[in-house]
Amino acid sequence: MKLSKVSRVAGREFASTAMTKGFIIGALVMPAAIGALMPLIILLTMKAQPPADTGTVYILDRSADVSPTIENRLSPENVEARWKERFGNVKEIAQNAIPLGEDQKKQIGDRIDKASDSIRYPELRVIPAGPDTDIEELKAEMQEQVAAYGKATGDLESILAIVDIDADASQKVNEEEGYGGFQVFLRPKLNEETIGEIKDSVRWSIRERRYVNAGINRDQVGEIHEISERASQEITEEGEKKASSAITTFIIPMASMILLLIASMTGGQYLLTTTVEEKSNRVVEVILSACSPMELMTGKILGQMFVGLSLLVVYSWLGIFALIFMERFDLIEWSTIVLIFVFFILAYFMFASLMAAIGSAVNEMREAQSLMTPVILLMMVPYFFFMPVIRAPNSMLSTVTSFIPPISPFIMIMRVASNDPPPVWQTGLVILVNAIAVVIFLWLAAKVFRVGLLMFGKPPNVRTLIKWIRMA
Amino acid sequence: MQGVRKTFGPKVAVEGIDLSIPEGAIYGFIGPNGAGKTTTIRMIMSILFPDRGELSVLGKKSAVESKDRIGYLPEERGIYKKMKVGSFLMHMGRLKGLDRSGLKPRVMEWLDRVDLAEVYKKKCEELSKGMQQKVQFVASVLHDPDLIILDEPFSGLDPVNMRLLRSLIDEEHGRGKTVIFSTHVMHQAEQNCDHIVMIHQGKKVLDDTLDDIRKRFDPRALHVDPIGGIDQADAVRRVEGVAHVTPIEGVLEVVMREGIDPQLAMRSLLESMPMNRVEIKRPTLEDVFIEIVTGGKRGEDAEQLRAELLADNQDAEEVEA
Repeated sequence: MKLSKVSRVAGREFASTAMTKGFIIGALVMPAAIGALMPLIILLTMKAQPPADTGTVYILDRSADVSPTIENRLSPENVEARWKERFGNVKEIAQNAIPLGEDQKKQIGDRIDKASDSIRYPELRVIPAGPDTDIEELKAEMQEQVAAYGKATGDLESILAIVDIDADASQKVNEEEGYGGFQVFLRPKLNEETIGEIKDSVRWSIRERRYVNAGINRDQVGEIHEISERASQEITEEGEKKASSAITTFIIPMASMILLLIASMTGGQYLLTTTVEEKSNRVVEVILSACSPMELMTGKILGQMFVGLSLLVVYSWLGIFALIFMERFDLIEWSTIVLIFVFFILAYFMFASLMAAIGSAVNEMREAQSLMTPVILLMMVPYFFFMPVIRAPNSMLSTVTSFIPPISPFIMIMRVASNDPPPVWQTGLVILVNAIAVVIFLWLAAKVFRVGLLMFGKPPNVRTLIKWIRMA
Repeated sequence: MQGVRKTFGPKVAVEGIDLSIPEGAIYGFIGPNGAGKTTTIRMIMSILFPDRGELSVLGKKSAVESKDRIGYLPEERGIYKKMKVGSFLMHMGRLKGLDRSGLKPRVMEWLDRVDLAEVYKKKCEELSKGMQQKVQFVASVLHDPDLIILDEPFSGLDPVNMRLLRSLIDEEHGRGKTVIFSTHVMHQAEQNCDHIVMIHQGKKVLDDTLDDIRKRFDPRALHVDPIGGIDQADAVRRVEGVAHVTPIEGVLEVVMREGIDPQLAMRSLLESMPMNRVEIKRPTLEDVFIEIVTGGKRGEDAEQLRAELLADNQDAEEVEA
């Protein structure tokens, strides 16, 4: 086997797969772009807010107690102040969504400030109606307006809402019954924000009056409700450690396993496609006049391995960045990251062998489907074992399945990434078992590959493949 | 090649072929479809391995060790459709062990020689079948191989390109390269080769120079064109020494009995009736082939085979046209 030919084949294989627009955009640029664009997307969503509503809100306050508070709460200055405050929070989130340099943070901050200058919040005129106002009259007027103009006209005269507040809303009339409530009549198609603003303000004001009437200090209640909690710590052999939440315990092993699966599957899938293509193009005989089947297969498998590796590198860095940003890099250990790469190589070689064998045996992609079914089912197995393995990473089931190739790397990575990793000797043994399995898989694939490449005609079934293995 | 045999399951594709091809020769492999030509060539290329027998290529035990010195154009033409013509040829060149330096001018020069200079940057799938075939021919000779093996190189080419390819093959041969090509269209072999190997049902049935073949298969056949036309067949049949008379393409092919001197036979034919023309039939490879396959017997078998071959040739010629 000549190394120069192998590397030549591998080079072409990598270039023809990974250096295409489709691959770069689909597999690399898209995920990276989505991450980078998050702040921009938040910004755009904010900018794309619907035009704010302008109009009148009638307060029919039967309690004759709440309406001044509501009036104050919905005054233009107070509404503006509240909206600006909400924007300030968004700015903070956007600036910290992904790790950024100070310059970029400032840039995004400036943009949001600019956007907040142009922000339009609902402009409301609150008219308290006396307790003896007939609500039906108000409703009739609103109906007339709706009939004439449809949606809000944008001037302060148009009635947006009528709030009907019960007489006992803020003060109990008799002790046995509870407090009363309120009802809102709305013009159709008002913005959610406007409706929320009105209702929240009414609710806040009624509550405010209840506190006052009961002689309770609202701030004091707030303080009583607020309990601060410092992050929980786990006491481990090495000392204190941030406790892992249920979510992170699941997410890290799951993400590691899926990452492994995606990377090895993508490489394998491309290998199948290019092999079938070379065969159906009949280009394979030309290539075979220049290199041996073994050189061809080795080159192709290595070429696609680099495709899978480049995916793995990009995605794992994205994951690491996310963890660093969340300041939870302690959740994943460097050894786990290294093991992801080790297990990728092992898992990839096994699946690539299967794909190379299938690809060389069939004449076109369509025929590959029936032979692919068992492989796809095999790829599903790690998903089925996800829950039992995560719950008990060192149970009999977890341990045994982590020693069965070719699903072994996927199970093992979940165990390693879990919060109860297996002993080191097991990891070592699993790597050894898989390395042996890789040799066997490659050896069998090579036999099928050699025979299959120049076989045209009836697509083979599994039995024929076994015959070829015996034959070669 | 010595006693080479190859089977596919129960089917014997090649049976006990002995063959040696001297360096610098131009050899034609002929035989009908399915005779075992491609299998033989694939074994020479070490793409297939014989079940029995031995072969050596360019002094090495197998072509595996000398692949870089062999140029091969397979019968099944293949090309990376999405690749640019230039990159495809560069890739093939580098696979064949050429250095990156000087490769591009070499590719350009070859493309120029086959009138395809303008396709360097085009994708292979944009080319016509014939153009693709020329690109593939370039791929097989790009690395200046000592041995060039071409499997059915002319199929699918128009007459102009066929002539171009023929002259390129002659040129390579003139530079001392060994050329082997196979064809099922016999007259193509007659035009190019100085040595013919005929394969039939997996066996070598002929291995000789074209001149020797012509001499050896000097037939006892004459082409006779009586003024009375082919209706005179019965009269001709009554002439002394005549064994068979078969009307072919407006003339009568007359086979003489064994031991009859063709000169004497011509004279007695001329005496028997007025003639436009009487001539000795120059044996074609087709005749030789039929002669060998039917064991020299003339009759229905031979006629049927000839009809098949004619149909084959016509197919080929239609494609060429």
